[in-house]
Parts: sequence; structure tokens; C-alpha cells
Amino acid sequence: MKSITIDPITRLEGHGKIHLFVKEDGELANCYFQVPELRGFEKFCQGRPVEEMARITTRICGVCPDAHHMAAAKAADAVYGVKIPSAAYKLRSLVYNAFFAGDHTTHFYALGGPDFVCGPDAPPGERNILGVIAKVGLDAGKQVIAQRAAGQRVIEIIGGKKVHPVTALPGGMSKRVSKDEQAEIQKLGDQMVEFAKFTVKVLNDVVLANPAYVELILSDSYAHKTYNMGLVDEQNKVNFYDGKVRVVGPDGKEHAKYEPKDYLQFVAEHVEPYSYLKYPYLKQIGWKGFVDGVDSGVYKASPLSRLNVSDGMATPLAQAEYERFYATLTHDKSGKTMVHATLATHWARVVELIYAAEMVQKLSRDDEITSDKIMEIPTATPSEGVGIVEAPRGTLTHHYRTDSKGIVVEANLIVGTTNNNAAITMSIKRAAEGLIKRGTEITQGTLNRIEMAFRAYDPCFGCATHSLPGEMPLEVIVHDADTGEVVQIARRQC
Amino acid sequence: MPIILCLGNEIISDDRFGYEVAEALKDDAVFCGTVEVHFAARAGFELIPLLAERPAALVVDTIRTGHDQPGTVRMHDMGAFAPSNHLVNSHQISLPTALALARLYGIPMPASIEVLTVEAADLETLSEALTVRVAAAVAPAQQLIRKWLNSKVENHVSFKD
Repeated sequence: MKSITIDPITRLEGHGKIHLFVKEDGELANCYFQVPELRGFEKFCQGRPVEEMARITTRICGVCPDAHHMAAAKAADAVYGVKIPSAAYKLRSLVYNAFFAGDHTTHFYALGGPDFVCGPDAPPGERNILGVIAKVGLDAGKQVIAQRAAGQRVIEIIGGKKVHPVTALPGGMSKRVSKDEQAEIQKLGDQMVEFAKFTVKVLNDVVLANPAYVELILSDSYAHKTYNMGLVDEQNKVNFYDGKVRVVGPDGKEHAKYEPKDYLQFVAEHVEPYSYLKYPYLKQIGWKGFVDGVDSGVYKASPLSRLNVSDGMATPLAQAEYERFYATLTHDKSGKTMVHATLATHWARVVELIYAAEMVQKLSRDDEITSDKIMEIPTATPSEGVGIVEAPRGTLTHHYRTDSKGIVVEANLIVGTTNNNAAITMSIKRAAEGLIKRGTEITQGTLNRIEMAFRAYDPCFGCATHSLPGEMPLEVIVHDADTGEVVQIARRQC
Repeated sequence: MPIILCLGNEIISDDRFGYEVAEALKDDAVFCGTVEVHFAARAGFELIPLLAERPAALVVDTIRTGHDQPGTVRMHDMGAFAPSNHLVNSHQISLPTALALARLYGIPMPASIEVLTVEAADLETLSEALTVRVAAAVAPAQQLIRKWLNSKVENHVSFKD
């Protein structure tokens, strides 16, 4: 048996390893996805005031600080049993959608985009954001930077700080928005919507106009029929900030729809000895291993999942793109027929980008966001609470239990990427099975196509905020398992 | 105004070094009014606005080379760090790569960027404390930063926006 190691994975947060075990006849025997994530955050939270969690948890991850900020704030609201004022609700929703728009922009253009814009077989030195800019033009790159800046500016206005917001507190928000700031956000919202339209054009021109890419997206190598999870509003429309968690089976039937506080009735976590990262699964279905189908508790929580569990989008442009998405991929624009193609997640992300931009535009025109009534001072004795939001990478759950003074005595976090751990492992294996055969030369393109299987999930495993100098070399070692002899080494230079 | 840009994560042991240095500098009268000291738990794209239109910049960060003893403080020219081909993402793109991107778009970046690094012992443990050797490196780092500041004065770097 031969072992192929891809380590570290490029273009995702944190470091991970993929082990592919290849039989003598060249067939793939098994696949292990290892994640050396930082551990012990729940323990780290103990002994801290629950109102501080919204600021501390932004340091868990340099990619989704806003998601942790909001999930922690919602959990703290629940701990104190307080309902936040309508204006605070709208401000949180507004800033959260601005964050989503920026995050999805980054992934589409800097992470997932290079695989399609530059091509999956392009040399690594070209398959990056500079390669994307070279293809789509300098002006497009300027728009990407401007879009990110717009999102950051909205976060700064409402969240108090760029990147790491601080204003969501138990009971509401600590900072009101002035009329001048509202006017500025309105302009930024308009800009975001125009950028979203531009992104649809890029998607059409570069990806969907290329039959080879459409074939790649729809290929069996990148498909899994699992359950899907996501937050929905009362009309079962996608909602990033609030709602009930809806779980839909691979056959399109609703498995569950529950309040965040009830999540432990529906989700459990499986442990494998080779990985620090747990494998959440649907409790009432059970853990049946890394298999898909209605009898397996494996589920996905991703942009594609959110579309699959919903009955549509709550804004007009996003709804139109939602219908085009399903009409193209399933010939049923209603969305009732599931899309299981992992690579379609990139397109789903664009649908969500449009929605997020429209929500910023819509909420910025609601004069209630300038109200002074942004805080309901908590008066109840704190006890226990759960906060759930949709992070860009999936459903994010914060669960705190406190003493009567609001000091955290127990915390449980299920982050977006963790939901997808089992599905990511399965996707990597499926992609490798389709690509690694007897006598196959393992090229850089082959490796990248395997990586594409999980890059679509936009996984995020790291917690350190940065690295210097930041290069991440890629090395592949092929062993003959019987003799231990190294038969092939492939290195990706940075 | 020049900037001393201290990077890191306050809750990951030695990755907290930038935060500790920034706190120490804020209490040092030498730096008041002559240079902006800024701590940021950010990276990549997010650093471009902080560095744009600065006459000079010093980046303070934690590094793990494996070649030095933990706590070793070194000064580097930004040229010592090669841009990555991978531009891994908004978070992990290297600072040189972010600068290359900024130059591509004509965003004015400091003519001089130097980097002060400390060799880390622990970048995994969730902790609000540095390891002993890295904690002992804060004061020497402060001295090196004073020298950097003096050299900028001697070289007539503008200290006004």
C-alpha cells in the first residue's frame, strides 16, 4: 500500500493533512483528513463574565470574528433571558450581512475563484488572486478591494471597530448610528449591490460559459447526498443572523426544524482517534461512518446547504439568482430538488453575496437603525443560553452556562467548519477516488483538484491571527507501504 | 506619521508578544507624538489601510523559524521576506504579498518597512501570558525600537502626516 500526503493544505485557515492510502493496484483504499486545531477554548472561557464572550471569541479565528461576536452576543442575550430592541436587531443584522458580503467576496475571488478563473491545472504561481486579477482585469481587482473596504467600513460604523466588532452586548448594542452614518451606509450598500451584480457577470463569463467547468461542477467526483443544515426565517427563507435551524434530507424532506436552544436534541459529536476535530452528526439518525444517504447522520452546513434547506431568498435579486441556480442544476427553479454537487457551493456563495448586499441596502434605508432604543438592560438572573448564527462556513453555535453572577462555568462551541468535517473527509476521498488510479501520475493539477473538493467548503481551522512570512509550501510523499520506500516526492514551491 | 504596527493574538501565548510590546510603548514618553503605536490582530489585506501613506513603518511580530532560541529578537528589512505565490487568503497572505498587491494598485506604501521579530516557543496554547523567554524579550525589543526611531530621526524621515 502507498501513502500520499498533502501537507499543508494551501489557501485555507490553519494547517491540515490529507493522507491517501493507495493499494498496490493503484486504487484508493482510504482517506484521512487530520486537523491540528487549537484545543481548549471552551475551558479558556470558564471563569469569564458572559458579557465579555462577544469580544473574547472574536479572537478564536481571524476569518470569522463577526460570526463569533454575534453568536456569543445572542447566547448572552439568552443567558439573561432578554429580548433585544428592534433597532438593535436590525443593526446586528445589517452589520452581519456586511460582514458576509465581504467574506464571500474574499472567498470567491481569492480562494475558490483561482481554481476556475485561472483553471484547476494552472501552475500554483498563477493560481492565486494575482492570477485572477490578470484574467479579469485590474479594474475588477480594484472593485474587489473596494468591496472589502466597504464591508469593513460598515463594520467599523456599527461594530465600533474594523474586523473585530465590539458593540453587541447582552440586551442589544452599545453604539447608536447617526443620520450621517446611516447616509454613508446607504451609499456603501448601493455599492455592494452593484458589486454583487458584477460578480454574477464574472461567474457567468468565466465559469458557467465554460462547459468543462460546468461538467466538473456536476461530476460525481464532487457530489455527496447528505443531509443539509441552515438557519431559516418564518417563511423558510435563508437568514444569516436569526431564525430556526432547519435540517433537510438528501431526498428533500424536512428532517427537523428547531429552536437554537434545542440543538443538543438534534446534534451529537463523533470522535476519531486521529483527529482533534470532532465530527458532528444528526443524533436521531446516528453515526454510521463516513457514508452519505438518508440513513447516515452526516450533514453539511454550507452556503449550498443553506440554499438546499430554504424555500428561497428574502430579497429580489438573490431570489432570481436562486431560481437560476436550481433551474440550471436541477431543472427545477423552486429549489425543492436538492443540489448535491460540492463545487456548486461556489455559485451558492454568489447567491448569498447578492442577498447580503441587498440586505445591507435594505436595512440601511430603515430609519429605525438610528433610534436611541438599542439596549434593553438585562434584569433577570443569568443561567444558560444558546446563540446560533450562520457563519459563512456553516451553522455556528455558542452555548454558555453561567453562575448567578453571569460567570461562565461551561461553554460549548460548534463552529461552522466543524459541522462539515465528515463531509469534507468524504469529499476528499470521493475526489481522490476519481483522480488517483493505477499508473496515474500525481501532478500539481491532480493535487489541486483534490484540494478543490474541500476548498468549496471554505474551511477554517486555524486560530492564530497571522503568520510571518506566511508561505505555505506543499509537499507530497508517496511511500510503498510494504517496503517503506519513498517512491515519489512532489513539492509545491511557494 | 510613521507607525509601529504590532501584530498578534492576545489569547495565544507567544502570539501575544505584539500586544505586550504595544502596551509597553504606549507608556514610553519617547514615542508620544512622534510615531503612532498600533496593535492589530489582523493580517494580509487588512494591513494595507494601516500602512498606506505612512513615511515609515516598523512591524512587530512573532515568528517561528526553528533556527533561533525562543525569545531571540531580530530586526529585518521587509525585503528579507519573499512574497508567497499562494496568497493563501485574506488572513494568511504574507505581509510582503499584501504590499505587492497594494503596489499593483498604486496605493502609497511606506518607502521603508522594517520588521522586528521574536522567536516564539509556544504558538498553540490558549493563554494570556507569554512564555518566560519571550516575556523577557519585551524590554530588549523596546530598546531596538528606540534605536529604530532614532535612526528615522537621523535620516530626516518626516514625522508628520
